[in-house]
Amino acid sequence: MSEEFVQILDWIAILCLLAGALLSLIAGIGLLRFPDLLSRMHAASKPQVLGLLLVLVGIGLRILPQEETGVFSAGTLVLVGLFQVVTVPVAGHIVARVGYRTGRIRRDLLGTDELADRLESDRFTKSGAENNVS
Amino acid sequence: MNEPQTKKKVRKKLRVRAVRSRLGKVQIPVALGMTVVWMLLFNAFQPRPESLGLAVLGFLVSLAIMMVFPLPPIVPGFRFWPVQGVYMLLYILGKMFAASIEVSSWVLRPGPPVKSSVIAVRMRTDSDLIMVCVAIATSIIPGSVIVEASQPEHVLYVHVLGARNQEEAAKAKKDVHALEERIARGIGTRENIADLEAVLASERGSV
Repeated sequence: MSEEFVQILDWIAILCLLAGALLSLIAGIGLLRFPDLLSRMHAASKPQVLGLLLVLVGIGLRILPQEETGVFSAGTLVLVGLFQVVTVPVAGHIVARVGYRTGRIRRDLLGTDELADRLESDRFTKSGAENNVS
Repeated sequence: MNEPQTKKKVRKKLRVRAVRSRLGKVQIPVALGMTVVWMLLFNAFQPRPESLGLAVLGFLVSLAIMMVFPLPPIVPGFRFWPVQGVYMLLYILGKMFAASIEVSSWVLRPGPPVKSSVIAVRMRTDSDLIMVCVAIATSIIPGSVIVEASQPEHVLYVHVLGARNQEEAAKAKKDVHALEERIARGIGTRENIADLEAVLASERGSV
C-alpha cells in the first residue's frame, strides 16, 4: 500500500481512538453524576460500548496495513466486539431487573411507569397461589 | 438428520421432545457458527498448515458442547435477508451514534438530574428470536435499558432515559417498534414479516 494511503488510515485510526476514549470518559462522568441506579446503568454500559467499538476500529485500521497478517488479526478484534455486544445487554438487564424489583430506584425521577401497574396486578393474582404453597 | 424425523412420526410430539436423542439436539448452523468462533480464537483463517485440522477440531468441539449442554432449537427459525439485513445493521449503528451524542449531552449538561420513564412495548411478531434481538439492540443503543421481559406475552419493559412525559414515552415506544420492524425484515422468516405487515396494515386502517 502507498505511503499516503497508510497515513490517511492512521489519521482515521487516531480519530476513532480519541472518540472512543472520549465516550468512555463521558461514561465515567455519567456514572458519577447520575442520581440513581437505572440512569447510572445507561451511563455505564452505553457510551462505553460504542467507545469500545470505535477503539477496536481504530486498532484495526492501525494493524491492517502494517503486517501481512493484519487482516487476520482483525478477526480477533471482530470477536472482541461481538462478545461485548452480546454480553453487555445480559449484564445490564440483570442489574436493572434486580434494582427495579428490590426498589433501589428513585420513583420521583420516573415520568411514566408502565411496569409498576403490571407487577401490582401480578402480585394480586399470584398471592392466592403462593399462600397455598407456603 | 433424517433418522430423528422418522422417529417423530411414530411417537407423540411431546414425548419426542423429552426423549429425543442427544445427537438430535445438534443444530448444524449453530455448530458452524461455533466453529467460526473457534477458528477466530486460534487465528486459523490465516493460511497455514494446521488450519484444516483446527477447523475439524473446532467442529468436533462444538458438536461435543451441544451434546453435553443441549439447548432447545430456535423455534420458528430465521432467515437472513441480505439487503434488509445490511440496512438493519446500519440502522442500529446510526441509532447508536445519534443516541450516544444525546446521552453524552445529558451527562455533561449541568442542572437537575434527567427524568426517565419505564414503558411497556408489545412485540408485533411472536418470534422469541426477534424479541431477543430487539432486546439486545435496545440495550446496545444508548438511552434505553430492558428492565423486564415477559416471554409468553412478548412484552418488553424498557427504561428510557430522558422521556419526561407521556408524549416522549410514546415516541420512545415508536422507536422500539421501528427497530423491531427493521430486525424482523432483516432476519425474520416469511411468516414473521407477514405478521408484521398485517399489524402495520391494520394500524394504517385504524388511523
